[in-house]
Amino acid sequence: MTGAELSFVVDGLVEEGADGTHLLGSRCNGCNTLYFPQMASCPNPACQTKVLRPETLPREGTLYSYTIQRYQPPALFRMRNWKPYVLGLVDMGEGVRVMGMLAGVEEDELEIGMSLQVVTEPLFDDPERGAVATYKFAPVGVG
Amino acid sequence: MRPVYALGAGAHPWGKWPDKPQVQLAVEAMGAALGDAGIGWPQVEGLVAASSRFEGGMGWGLHANEVVQTVAEQGIPCINVGGACAAGAIALQTAYSLIASGQYDVVAALGAERMPKGFIPRPPGSKDDRTDNDYLRWVAMGATNPAYWAIEARRRQHDHGTSAATLANASVLMRQNASGNRYARYRDPLTADDIAASPMVADPLHLLQICPVSDGAAAVILGSEDFVQKSGKAAVRVAGCAIGSGQFGDPARRIPTIASTVREGVSHTSEVVGAVRRAFEMAGIGPEDVDLLEMADNSAWHILAWPELFGFYEAGKGDWMLDNGHLAIGGKLAVNPSGGFLSFGEATTAQALLQVAEVLWQLRGQAEGHQVQNAKVGMTAVLGLGANGGSIILSR
Ligand SMILES: [Zn+2]
Repeated sequence: MTGAELSFVVDGLVEEGADGTHLLGSRCNGCNTLYFPQMASCPNPACQTKVLRPETLPREGTLYSYTIQRYQPPALFRMRNWKPYVLGLVDMGEGVRVMGMLAGVEEDELEIGMSLQVVTEPLFDDPERGAVATYKFAPVGVG
Repeated sequence: MRPVYALGAGAHPWGKWPDKPQVQLAVEAMGAALGDAGIGWPQVEGLVAASSRFEGGMGWGLHANEVVQTVAEQGIPCINVGGACAAGAIALQTAYSLIASGQYDVVAALGAERMPKGFIPRPPGSKDDRTDNDYLRWVAMGATNPAYWAIEARRRQHDHGTSAATLANASVLMRQNASGNRYARYRDPLTADDIAASPMVADPLHLLQICPVSDGAAAVILGSEDFVQKSGKAAVRVAGCAIGSGQFGDPARRIPTIASTVREGVSHTSEVVGAVRRAFEMAGIGPEDVDLLEMADNSAWHILAWPELFGFYEAGKGDWMLDNGHLAIGGKLAVNPSGGFLSFGEATTAQALLQVAEVLWQLRGQAEGHQVQNAKVGMTAVLGLGANGGSIILSR
């Protein structure tokens, strides 16, 4: 991906590291729970501290489940050359499961448990913002 | 706490009613409930409305006030409660508490809804940033509600080997049950082939395996033991009545969040499981005592998974139960003898009250065309956005 002029669907979801895209979440100083996306507070009822710091998640996770979105979602969702796409639920470790679009994988290659990594991909083009990107999950070695 | 009884229930048939304002649906359901209870408005001492987000309520969700101003201005307390698709259960819980506390003797709970066409829009004034899950899920990935249910269904196929045929059987059963229920919107029987031939919405769920949206209204009138004795009317005991919210660490793919942090040992769909457990505890009974379960079947997956989550049988057994007819009317546990959301289409805030109405009629032997023979105990279970759960047990 070019990366240079790419704006993101929403600020604060990812951080670009030297090794690629990381999801940006929060870790609680009190109970050590890891969250995505960044949280306003810690919802663990047993936690007294509830002070969060930003923390990036590992790049890789495993596919926990998935579906194929066959119908075009409402207009808030914009996509270049709309066609059905895979939506996955990816286990990122420490109990954190994240939903996102999958990239670079054919339907017949999908397998629960497969390794995936976070990537940034252009999602749509906006007259003012140019290419707008989202995070996706791709098989390791793709994207 | 005083015992509480269901005196009567009423509903407006589900469908699309473009010519009837929402308040009209509400008034008709209330009228039917009063008739069923054999009382009139003057005896109603309070009204709790499950407030719609979509229309009516004077723009402030004041649906109960709107109803009394339309048909019976008599100074009674009007309480308007939120809770999305579980709001009907929250309304019933509120009415229950008003009577159990000893403050009132007859209180009605009401839900009426006309659903917007197509996808449910985001409310005005929502924040367009990462703090709003309902924004994130659309802009970052276009995650529709059926996609959430499909992700659960796909995982179930992985964990328990659930087949496409079994998922189809869930919809076949719901339509079979609905065929005899005059309140249901979709009453034509379906075959497994019909379901397979309907468009795939989000694999593995076809169009006929997810609930559409409808217009509808339902009301339930509750009363105290004193009132029941003085009036000499037949009534069915509200044996359990509970609402709850979600638990930290719940593994369910909760709409509209895009991620969750899962913790071992926390129930899936904990907002509903928690309410179900409390309702069982209140009633002093367990799953083995229940003859029928009216539960929110937003998809075919729910029919398989929810009774397992509630402890009716172990995880993964739902497929066998369904495929062998044990969830049908006449089976070990009748699930949604009404036909469920799959046959009604969801009229959000009215849905949980329709469930209670259905259970009441079943226990009285009045569920014409879809009666569970000799039903003595019936349970409801519903889920609403924002991790709201509710469960009500009626017992005779
Ligand atoms: Zn914490």
